[in-house]
Amino acid sequence: MKIKAQVCMVMNLDKCIGCHTCSITCKNVWTNRPGAEYMYFNNVETKPGVGYPRNWEDQEKWKGGWEVDGSELKLRTGSKLGRILKLFYHPQQPELDDYYEPWTYDYETLITSPRRKHQPVARPRSLITQRRMEIKWGPNWDDDLAGGDSARSDVNLKKIGEEIALEFSDIFMKYLPRNCNHCLNPACVAACPSGAIYKREEDGVVLVSQDICRGWRHCIPSCPYKKVFYNWKTNKAEKCTFCYPRLENGLPSVCTDTCVGRIRYMGILLYDMDAVKAAAKTKDSKEIYANVLGLIKNPNDPEVLESARREGISEAVLNAAKISPVYQIIQGWKLALPLHPEFRTLPMVWYIPPLSPIAKKFEEKVYLPNSEAMRIPVKYLAELFTAGNTQIILQVLQRLLDMRTVMRCKEVGESPPQNLEFDAYEYEKMYKLLALAKYSERIKLPAGVQGKTHEQLRELQGSAGYICPGGFC
Amino acid sequence: MSGFFWTALPYIAFATLIVGTAYRYWTGERGWTTKSSEFLSKKSLMIAGPMFHLGLLMAFGGHVIGILIPKSLTDGVGISEHLYHIISLAGGIPAGLLFFGGFFLLMRRRFDNPRMKVNTSTMDGVIYFVIFLTIVTGFGGTLLNAVGLLGDGFNYRECISPWFRSVLAMSPDAELMADTPIIFKAHVFMAMITMILFPFTRLVHCLSFPFEMFMRSPIIYRRK
Repeated sequence: MKIKAQVCMVMNLDKCIGCHTCSITCKNVWTNRPGAEYMYFNNVETKPGVGYPRNWEDQEKWKGGWEVDGSELKLRTGSKLGRILKLFYHPQQPELDDYYEPWTYDYETLITSPRRKHQPVARPRSLITQRRMEIKWGPNWDDDLAGGDSARSDVNLKKIGEEIALEFSDIFMKYLPRNCNHCLNPACVAACPSGAIYKREEDGVVLVSQDICRGWRHCIPSCPYKKVFYNWKTNKAEKCTFCYPRLENGLPSVCTDTCVGRIRYMGILLYDMDAVKAAAKTKDSKEIYANVLGLIKNPNDPEVLESARREGISEAVLNAAKISPVYQIIQGWKLALPLHPEFRTLPMVWYIPPLSPIAKKFEEKVYLPNSEAMRIPVKYLAELFTAGNTQIILQVLQRLLDMRTVMRCKEVGESPPQNLEFDAYEYEKMYKLLALAKYSERIKLPAGVQGKTHEQLRELQGSAGYICPGGFC
Repeated sequence: MSGFFWTALPYIAFATLIVGTAYRYWTGERGWTTKSSEFLSKKSLMIAGPMFHLGLLMAFGGHVIGILIPKSLTDGVGISEHLYHIISLAGGIPAGLLFFGGFFLLMRRRFDNPRMKVNTSTMDGVIYFVIFLTIVTGFGGTLLNAVGLLGDGFNYRECISPWFRSVLAMSPDAELMADTPIIFKAHVFMAMITMILFPFTRLVHCLSFPFEMFMRSPIIYRRK
């Protein structure tokens, strides 16, 4: 057993209102530079839909993630030699139009226009070519299903077949905020020819070294979540950093900090690094979820703690792990699930699947529906979160429903139903963490890991970043 | 003047190439990239990119053989001048066609698409012009020579190649270049200009090859 610490995020989709505040604050902090205009390290998608970039989930097209071939765990994008042969033209590489062409508006015409019969108009202008352009697609074009055309081409819907009708009476949707998953078995790291992408040993954050990166771009198709981006100006790869400068000071990422619905939880997990490969390699992708739970170790187990100390994990990190809200949600109550575990990268951003309104056919009969009587088809959620295992989804949804039942009973003075999975006290705790928890309860990160004083940090200002300091760019 | 071109300039070119590249590496590694533009214009790269680079590698290989292997060696193993000529043209003409054709397609792609403008710097323009002249003089000279327009007496293996080897041996003999046709002189000159500009352009990408990737483990952990 070799214990490592991982900063981990849980998103409670039950509470996501799709406001895009996470995307906007992230953009303002990280990607409002030339070359990065089109990037959203964090974006919110409406599901069903094609997402950003378009059809990112379709690995037949992009060859992202890992596959098991016999007893070997291999990148879907090909062998090392095969990848090198894609040197001069890479067929699976996404291009700008797979995302969208970023634009601004000619706001100046609004004030400089001479007096005319009609109001002046701020026309769109491309941020790439600086020419006038017609806007045909944007990073969130299919927000709230927007006409339904792109919803029909959702890969997950195609996989579960025609059982799901997009009839108006039974239509459903949900939001899916996405950022880099800081995977335990990251395909981008494995695919990088230069070895520029690495997992930070102290907190598991996956970063791209801007110095070592040579712009091979093999990370981009191989990340099945399409969360590594190519900066067309610096010609290097960039990705979500989990806001590591904030993490080092005990603060959560900006998306977590600013989340209006307070859906995001951040904390430390301890995992067994030696067992990662075996967990990803299992034949049946439906087992991956259970395997990952097996990797995540109990932070109160003395044996785990001893091994962690041997690896040099500091007491501050271990203490944070002991009170980690994400451990409680993922391992304690088993409410959170990884997005597309079948990609085998073992993502470390987890999702609590959302409850949804009662489907029409059950409507008259019930007050609180069963987990299978809700609008969002369980099969659809299973495609997203459990590689098609509906059993796990039903269990998780039932736990959330049971929690509501218990709290309702408490409110109206009834005695809660017997034979529930947990006792009433546990459901109350669950309710408190999921519904009421304040900032300091949702986020438990170790402070003071940075080891640099404020003055030292100030001196470093301007010495790091994405812009090339030596010229030649 | 020819003394400068054929005795001093080659050393200036080599020195700039080596020192400049090292300087670029140590001071500007963050800018060390191929400046790939596949992201901005993918379809137009599908044929042009591999075609140009394949032609380039073939042409480079041909130059290595033609310049570094002395005529006496091929004569010694019994390859006649005529046979050598046929072999070199059989490799050189396709290489030149791929190289030049690919270059043409890439340039059309680069200057015909407004998006590509954001990926093209002034230095890029300069180096494309230099490469263009290098290819035109090299490929043109080869073709002219093949049809006999440069006169019977000319054989680059009796002038350019020994001169280049004399440069490598640190005793440059400018006399060897005296009777070389002007088009080949221009070609050698443009090649030296390319070497001088090389460290300060996107061409440095050809020095990056991921040797370590074949040895390392897939997942990398690194301390801060």
